[in-house]
Amino acid sequence: MATHTAKSPAASQLDVQAIRAQFPILAEKVHDRPLVFLDSAASAQKPNAVIDSMANTMRHQYANIHRGLHWMSERTTEAYEGVRDLVAGFLNAPSREEIVFTRNSTEAINLVAHSFGALLRPGQAVLISQMEHHANLVPWQMLRDRAGIELRIAPITDDGDLDMEAYKAFLADGKVGLVAITHMSNVLGTITPASQIAEVAHAAGALVLFDGSQAVVHHKTDVQALDADFYTFTGHKLYGPTGIGVLWARRALLEQMPPFLGGGDMISTVTFERSTWANIPHKFEAGTPAIVETMGLGAAIEWVSQVGFDAIAAHEAALTAHALQRLATVPGLKIVGNPRMRGGVVSFTMEDVHPHDIATLLDRNGIAIRAGHHCAEPLMRRLGLSATARASFGIYTQKEEIDVLADTLVRIRDFFV
Amino acid sequence: MNSSTAERDALYDRLIVERARKPLHAGRLDAPDVQGEGRNPLCGDKTHLDIALNGHHIQDIRHQTRGCAICSAAADLMAERLRGETVTQALQVADRFKALLVEPSSSAVVEKSHQVPLGALEVFAPLRSHKARIRCAELPWVALEEAFSHVDG
Ligand SMILES: Cc1ncc(COP(=O)(O)O)c(C=O)c1O
Repeated sequence: MATHTAKSPAASQLDVQAIRAQFPILAEKVHDRPLVFLDSAASAQKPNAVIDSMANTMRHQYANIHRGLHWMSERTTEAYEGVRDLVAGFLNAPSREEIVFTRNSTEAINLVAHSFGALLRPGQAVLISQMEHHANLVPWQMLRDRAGIELRIAPITDDGDLDMEAYKAFLADGKVGLVAITHMSNVLGTITPASQIAEVAHAAGALVLFDGSQAVVHHKTDVQALDADFYTFTGHKLYGPTGIGVLWARRALLEQMPPFLGGGDMISTVTFERSTWANIPHKFEAGTPAIVETMGLGAAIEWVSQVGFDAIAAHEAALTAHALQRLATVPGLKIVGNPRMRGGVVSFTMEDVHPHDIATLLDRNGIAIRAGHHCAEPLMRRLGLSATARASFGIYTQKEEIDVLADTLVRIRDFFV
Repeated sequence: MNSSTAERDALYDRLIVERARKPLHAGRLDAPDVQGEGRNPLCGDKTHLDIALNGHHIQDIRHQTRGCAICSAAADLMAERLRGETVTQALQVADRFKALLVEPSSSAVVEKSHQVPLGALEVFAPLRSHKARIRCAELPWVALEEAFSHVDG
């Protein structure tokens, strides 16, 4: 499927130039300057392998799936279902039927809130944390309001770690049916102690969902080692296309849960009176799916796997350490959060310079970062901030780009003070 | 990198930076006749306006702003421009300012209220090409409209 593959790295060294050469967009200029793209946590850029796989699908092997009796449809169905195998391998899921394709992480979490939520009883609770993206907060508020489910919020420490003692206390009364927590914060960079979170949840009789939207990009994910019950991620942050995301859930749960959306492909038999549901995972995949995007996701997973998570994690850890050290030397700059384990995301504020002004002025220098509340308004309130600036790093980020960021921030601050 | 666009960026006129840093019309009034507030939920920016009226005239106007440089300076330069104007004139300036922030050709308002001078508020013209930031400069005017929503010009 992948025609362009990453060089297989010697030891765990990553050849950044060889990687960058595979991302055509990185050659673009912004305001006549080379693009310095430090916003991969919002959405990552795409390698040729992904672009070509999608274009080739549309050029050479495209038809609707699961419906045609003709050659093109059968081949496309095979390729589409092949991606399910790839995703199962990527997450080390016990079986391919446990992989449900969704539009993105948001839809995957909404699916769980709707369909697993239907199995919860009034008086039961869902427990999330203070550092959740709106995607892992709003669906639970909707469930609370619709079904009389209590919503509990576990606090974080000032450093930006989950407060494990408080977390345990929230589980003590045995009412929590589901813990839904991020595996990596998109604001603080915190990588949460997922297996410990799962262990504590299970001991209290709760199931656990991890929002892996940020986490899957930075290290190898193993849902069995984590002992998770649900896991979600989104294709576009993993160097894949938009419009495709994944829910993994234990087979027994998926079998128990009622469908999310109704329509074609998710049924077994339909009469005007009633319908019966297809087997999992199809029960949760109503309508024609994002066929082309699914192929793109498959290419992204193959490509990332070829680069290897050892190399990716080492590269990003080095970049993050360098960024923390360089940013600390910028006058007036404060890094937000100091978690025990951090992925390639650094949020910061600057005395006397608003995050939006930082972002606009960096952009004039070709540097793309994110500024705002990062879809985590309650977390901002907890931190006592209205907004932060956030730089995030990916597989193609160079150390020199972080130096350009730090140097430009010094000048921006001079400009304002 | 030798030269930086940041320092000579047209958007951040020196006046904007200065007013953001040291506003001349910030604060609250003891006995405002009308008040207004503008909030941008996307970034948490906030402007509060206190206005003292003498008949139809704006006798005094103060703002309290928590926001970016664009928003803070817009509030300060707005207060400066509107002091002494009538409510009707102030709303004309508001129209004219909004027109300034969109493409000049696409607005009939420009023609109609062309006689109303914007003065120092002209420094915000480059915002036209920074669509994402237009709301920052508009926020104080949202507060103004709220303040005047109960006053007949
Ligand atoms: C931690 C986290 N959760 C969920 C999401 C939602 O992802 P998507 O918008 O692709 O559904 C994001 C990204 O925006 C995220 O960073």
